[in-house]
Amino acid sequence: MARMKFYCDAERCIECNACVTACKNEHDIPWGVNRRRVVTIKDGEQGERSLSVACMHCSDAPCAAVCPVDIFYTTSDGIVLHDKDLCIGCGYCFYACPFGAPQFPEEAAFSSRGKMDKCTFCAGGPEDDNSSEEYKKYGRNRIAEGKLPLCAEMCSTHALLAGDADVLSDIYRKRVINRGASAFDWGVNFDKAKL
Amino acid sequence: MRIRTLLVVVCLMASVFPVQADPPPPPPDTYTSNPGADLWRDVRQRDGEIRGVTQVKSTGADVLINVSGENWRQYRMQELIPKASAAIVIVLAMIVIFRLIRGNIGLSGGRSGMKILRFTTNQRYAHWSTAILFVILGLTGLTLLLGRKVLIPLFGAEGFSNIAVAAKFLHDYLGPLFVFTLTWLFVLFVRDNLPSPKVDLQWLLSGGGLFGKHAHADRFNMGEKGWFWLASIGGLAVIISGLVLDFPIFGQSRATMEFYHFVHSLSAVVLIVISFGHIYMGTAAYEATFEVMQTGYCDAQWAKDHHDLWYEKVKDTALPEEQLQSGSNAGMAQRGSTDTA
Repeated sequence: MARMKFYCDAERCIECNACVTACKNEHDIPWGVNRRRVVTIKDGEQGERSLSVACMHCSDAPCAAVCPVDIFYTTSDGIVLHDKDLCIGCGYCFYACPFGAPQFPEEAAFSSRGKMDKCTFCAGGPEDDNSSEEYKKYGRNRIAEGKLPLCAEMCSTHALLAGDADVLSDIYRKRVINRGASAFDWGVNFDKAKL
Repeated sequence: MRIRTLLVVVCLMASVFPVQADPPPPPPDTYTSNPGADLWRDVRQRDGEIRGVTQVKSTGADVLINVSGENWRQYRMQELIPKASAAIVIVLAMIVIFRLIRGNIGLSGGRSGMKILRFTTNQRYAHWSTAILFVILGLTGLTLLLGRKVLIPLFGAEGFSNIAVAAKFLHDYLGPLFVFTLTWLFVLFVRDNLPSPKVDLQWLLSGGGLFGKHAHADRFNMGEKGWFWLASIGGLAVIISGLVLDFPIFGQSRATMEFYHFVHSLSAVVLIVISFGHIYMGTAAYEATFEVMQTGYCDAQWAKDHHDLWYEKVKDTALPEEQLQSGSNAGMAQRGSTDTA
């Protein structure tokens, strides 16, 4: 079985935010909830890099470990999904997640949290594949249609990759062989090379 | 001749424009940082918190990796849940063992039939408001802490989810009331819970009467004072941390929430575990104890047994039981009239 992963190539990401927009559009995600975001490190400085980040579908997912109502499950493709019907909106998954993936719509008084929403790797939820109920809660189920997540599929620089971890590592390995892990590779440092 | 002249000229020129050998090239930089490694070190927040820039506006969106999350997971899953469960089981087992050894501890020489006012109506309302709230908050809190292990096997995922939603709702909305009841309780009881070192130390050295003989005690013995101060200080910690956790509208960071969850859960578990002792001592451990907080009046013999120093101060206010039958206020009024008569 495949083990689905995302990989974002920092040397290629141009911070266009198209993955964010595509995700919001594909799944009809409400205001205030972002399943994917692009973060730029050292913005405007030497060594600026951007990375697109969402749920990384961890093998040992912290969200699933700390959830008090045990709503998370991992599909046979290694995708971490959750059952919104059981979610109580406690926010523990958000505290434990390294990537800030869980999102909460503000629902009741004092901004108390609604049911958690996060990237599904475009694989929906526990409802019937592509039923209207599933779409309403989790968005489109592209995996059931044999398609990969839209964010990666439409990435113009092919920075964001989604798919089986083995295939992704092969692609990335070839890139590294051709260009090095970083465009500013070992031994070339514009600070110190007195050009 | 011309060659010699030429040589002299060359030598003169050489002394004016000395031709030097090239200096040795500077040693190449042996260390140049790898920008790829720098990036991932920043992403992983190895050298402290690095915030990026993002279009998404939500708490912590500009942090790529939240490093405190794993620590919090470790605390909750490896420390808090197993140790809290163990503490609860151990304390309950200790109470059962105490019960088996000591049984229901009676009054020495039975009831006297004389009643002494120990708690005013105001004090009893403060106690029971706090107590009822404490039990609700404790049970709902434990539901969220241990329910996944204990209650899902009993009620199934869906059944437990409904219970957990109700528990969270009650916990979130009733929690802030604890601020008021605990303050009320503190103000009413703090005077008699101030330490009196000599008596308290004696009480402690005698094992607090756990092993037989009662030690001297004023209105409250050292065990009760300890519970009072623990409940006040622990309660304050629970209240402050609870308010931070309850209202996530001020953009609290994840690290903040994790820290206050640590404070909240730790102090709450300590309070819950010790409250078991308080609840057992106050209800079933000793004869004629529960009725004191129930009615406000204690039997004179009970006062003599448990709070001898206090009894010496208030023994003149003791009333025969029959006089109280018509209600405590009437009893008080009657007492007033008999005093003047």
